[in-house]
Amino acid sequence: MSTITIQNNQHHDSHDDHAHGHHKETFLSKYVFSMDHKMIAKQFLITGIIMAVIAMGLSILFRLQLAWPDRSFPILETFLGKWAEGGRIRPEFYLALVTIHGTIMVFFVLTAGLSGTFSNLLIPLQLGARDMASPFMNMLSYWFFFTACVVMMCSFFVQTGPASAGWTVYPPLSALPKAIPGSGTGMTLWLISMICFVVSSLMGGINYVSTVLNMRTKGMDLWKMPLTIWAFFLTAILGILSFPVLVAGVVLLIFDRSFGTSFYLSDIVIGTQVLPNEGGSPILWQHLFWFLGHPEVYIVIMPALGISSEVISVNSRKPIFGYHAMVYSLIGITILSFIVWGHHMFVTGMNPLLGGVFMITTLIIAVPSAVKTFNYLATLWRGNIRFTPAMLFAIGLVSFFISGGLTGIFLGNASLDINLHDTYFVVAHFHLVMGSAAIFGMLAGVYHWFPKMFGRMMNAKLGYLHFWLTFICAYLVFFPLHFLGLDGVPRRYYAFTEFEFMQKWVTVNIFVTWAAIIAALAQVAFLFNFFYSIFKGKVAPQNPWEANTLEWTTPVEHLHGNWPGEIPTVYRWPYDYSKPGAEEDFIPQTVPFSLTMSSNMPHDFEGNTEAERIQEEWMAAQEAKQKTIVD
Amino acid sequence: MVQSINQHEVKLDFRAKKFIIWLFVVSSTIMFGGWTSYYIVFAASKGKGHGLVLPDLFMYSTGVLLVSSVCLFLASRAFRNQEFSMQKFFLWLTLGLGVIFAYLQISAWGTLVQTGAVFSNNNAAISLIYVVSGFHILHILAGLGLVLGSLFGAYRNISVDRQQFRMEITSIFWHFIDILWIYLYVFLLLNS
Ligand code: HEM
Ligand SMILES: [Cu+2]
Repeated sequence: MSTITIQNNQHHDSHDDHAHGHHKETFLSKYVFSMDHKMIAKQFLITGIIMAVIAMGLSILFRLQLAWPDRSFPILETFLGKWAEGGRIRPEFYLALVTIHGTIMVFFVLTAGLSGTFSNLLIPLQLGARDMASPFMNMLSYWFFFTACVVMMCSFFVQTGPASAGWTVYPPLSALPKAIPGSGTGMTLWLISMICFVVSSLMGGINYVSTVLNMRTKGMDLWKMPLTIWAFFLTAILGILSFPVLVAGVVLLIFDRSFGTSFYLSDIVIGTQVLPNEGGSPILWQHLFWFLGHPEVYIVIMPALGISSEVISVNSRKPIFGYHAMVYSLIGITILSFIVWGHHMFVTGMNPLLGGVFMITTLIIAVPSAVKTFNYLATLWRGNIRFTPAMLFAIGLVSFFISGGLTGIFLGNASLDINLHDTYFVVAHFHLVMGSAAIFGMLAGVYHWFPKMFGRMMNAKLGYLHFWLTFICAYLVFFPLHFLGLDGVPRRYYAFTEFEFMQKWVTVNIFVTWAAIIAALAQVAFLFNFFYSIFKGKVAPQNPWEANTLEWTTPVEHLHGNWPGEIPTVYRWPYDYSKPGAEEDFIPQTVPFSLTMSSNMPHDFEGNTEAERIQEEWMAAQEAKQKTIVD
Repeated sequence: MVQSINQHEVKLDFRAKKFIIWLFVVSSTIMFGGWTSYYIVFAASKGKGHGLVLPDLFMYSTGVLLVSSVCLFLASRAFRNQEFSMQKFFLWLTLGLGVIFAYLQISAWGTLVQTGAVFSNNNAAISLIYVVSGFHILHILAGLGLVLGSLFGAYRNISVDRQQFRMEITSIFWHFIDILWIYLYVFLLLNS
C-alpha cells in the first residue's frame, strides 16, 4: 500500500512542476479547463459529434434543394427566415451550405474530431505515459478548436451569410468582398476560424509527436508500438509539415481582402468597375492550398486506418498481417502525399509535362494504399472473427477505401481528369474514400474505446442497426453520383436541372436524397446509444475485447496519471493473438516471455542469444518430461 | 529509489518539452518556406522580383541581431559556469538588442514607404517583404518573451533544472529566429 502513495506523489511532481501540495479538482478544472488527456479527448469527441450533426443537417438542406428544385418547403422559412424565402433555399445560401458543410466535415470532424479524440486518448495510454508532453498546450489546443467552431457557426448569424466559395475558398471569388454576399463578413470569419483551427492542430500535433518520441514506457521501442500510434504519429508529422503552408496562404488572402495587396488578384472587373489590383495570380493560392490540401486528406484517413488496423486485428483474433509493411506504407504515404498536390490542378493550364509528373506520383501513392488494403483482407482471411459493432465499422472502412480508391486512380490520370474534374464523379470519389471511410474508422474507434473513455459499454444491438443502415445508405447516396459525373453533371450547381440534358438525373437525385435522409435518421440510433450509455450503459470490465495493448491495463475508473502504481513495462509487440501453444488467444504486451515458454518463437527474441539458450533448454527439458511420461 | 525514478521522469518531461520547441521551429520554418516559394513562383512567372535596393537599415538590424545571438550564447555559457550576474547581464543585453532590432526593422519599413514601395502594392513581391519581415517581428516578440522568462527565472532563483530548461529553450528559439532572418534577408537580396 505504501508504495502506491509514494508513487502517487512521484507522478504528481513529475507532472506539474510548479504545483505545491494537492490538486483541488473543481468543476472548472475537471470538465472545462482540464489538462488531463483523457478528458480532453472526450471534449474533442463530443464537440466533433456536435459539429458532425450540424454539418449533416446542412447536407440534408442542400439535398432537398437538389432533389426538388421547384418545390417549396414552408417549414424551411420558419427556421431559416430570409435564407429560404417562400420555403425555397436561396442560391446564395445553397453555396454557403455546401461550403460550410465541407469545411466542418473535413476540418472540424475528420481532422480535429478524429485525431483530437483518439490521439489524445490513446497516445499516452498505449505508450505508457502519464500524460502528454505538455498538458497545458494540449488544453489550449482544445480551446482554440472550440473557438474555431464558435467563430465558424457565428457566420450563420451575420447579415451577408457564411462563406460561400467552397471549402477550398479559391480567389478571386473569396478575395473580393463584393463578389458574392458570402465573400463579405462570412469569409472573414471563415479565415479567422481557420487560423484558430490551424493553431489548434499544430499545438496538438506537436504535442503528439513529442510524446511519442520521448515518453514511451520501458520496453516500448518504436517497433513495439501499436499501429494506431504509428498512424497518429505520422499524421501529426504530416500536419506539422503542411498546415503552416495553409497559414501562409491564408495570411496573404487576408491581406488581399482587407489591405489592398495583389497576391492573388489581377485584371478584375466587377460590373463596370475596373479594380486596381494587378500582377497577382489566383493559381498561386491553389498551389499553397493543395500543398496542404492533399496531405490534409491523408491526415483525415490515416488515423482511421490506424484505428481499423487495431480493431480488425483484435476482432479477428489474429496478428495484423504484415505489421512492418503497414508501417512502411504509412511512411510511404506520408512522404508521397507532399508531391501529388498538382492532381487537383490538372485543368489550371499547367504545363502538360508537369501534369505528367504529378500523374505519375499520384499513381505511385496508390501502391502503399493498396498494400494496406490487402493487409486488412489478409488479416481477416480465416480469422476467428468477432463481429462487434466496432469490427463491422472497421470492415466498412476497408470496403469504402477500396471502392473510393479505385476512382482515385481514374482521376489521377490527367487525360481522364480533364473530363471528370469538377463533376459529381469527384464528389463520389472523395465521399467514399475520405468521407465514408474516415467516418467509419472514427465510429469504429468510438465503439471500440467507448468502454475506455466512459467506463461503460455501448449497446451492441443498436450498434448493428446503426452500422447496417449507415453502410447501405452511404453506398446508395454516393454510388449513383459516379454516373452523374460521367454524364458531365457539374458539382456545386444550385439547379443543374435547368440544363435540358441533365434533367433526366432528377429522379436519381430524389432517390439519393431519400437515402441521405434515412442515413441521417440512422445516426439517431448512434446518438441515443452514445449519450444514453455514458450514464446508463452496462459497466465495462477492464479488458472487454480481450486486447493486448496497454490501455486495457489501466483501471476502469479514470485517474490522473493513468496507472495507480508504476507504469507497466512492455515486453512484446501488440499483436500476439491466437499464438500457437499459448494458453489463451491473446497475450498482453506486459507479459514477459518467461511466462509464456510454451508459445515463444525463435524470432521473438530478436537475436538475444541468452534468451534463446534459456528457451532451448526449457524445450529440451519439456521433451525429456514428455518422454518419461510416455515411457 | 523513488527519488531517482522521480528525477528520471522529470528529465523526460523536460526533454519532451524541449522537443516541442524544435517542432515549433520546424513548422515555423515551413510557414516562411511557403511565402518564399510563393515569391519564387511569382517571380518566375512574372519575370520580375521586388526590384528594390533594400534599405541599409536592414543591414544594421541584421548586425544587431547577430550580436544579440552572441550575447545569448555568452549568457548560456555564464550560466553553465555558474556566473549568475554575468548571465543576467548578457540576458539584459540580448533583450535590449532584440528591442533595437525590432525598432530598426520598423524604421526600415519607413524608408521603404518613403521610396514609394508601400505595402498595398501591385507588385506582390514588394508586399511580401512586409509580410515576411512582419511575421519575423512577431517571432522576435515571442523570443523576447522567452528571454524575459529566463531573466525572471534567474532573479526568482527557481530550481537549477528549470532555469536550465528555460535557458535552453530560449537559446533554441532565439538562434532560430536569428538564422531565419538571415535566410530571409539573403533571399530578398538574391531575388531582387
Ligand atoms: C488511391 C489513391 C488516390 C488517388 C489516385 C486520388 C486521386 C484524386 C484526384 C486526381 C483528385 C482530383 C479530382 C479533381 O478535382 O478533378 C482527387 C480529389 C479528391 N480526393 Fe483523391 N485520390 C486518392 C485517394 C484519396 C484519399 C485516400 C482521400 C482522402 C482520404 C482522397 C480525397 C480526395 C478529396 C477530398 C478530393 C476532392 C477535393 C475537392 O476538389 O474538393 N483521395 N483525388
Ligand atoms: Cu489529392
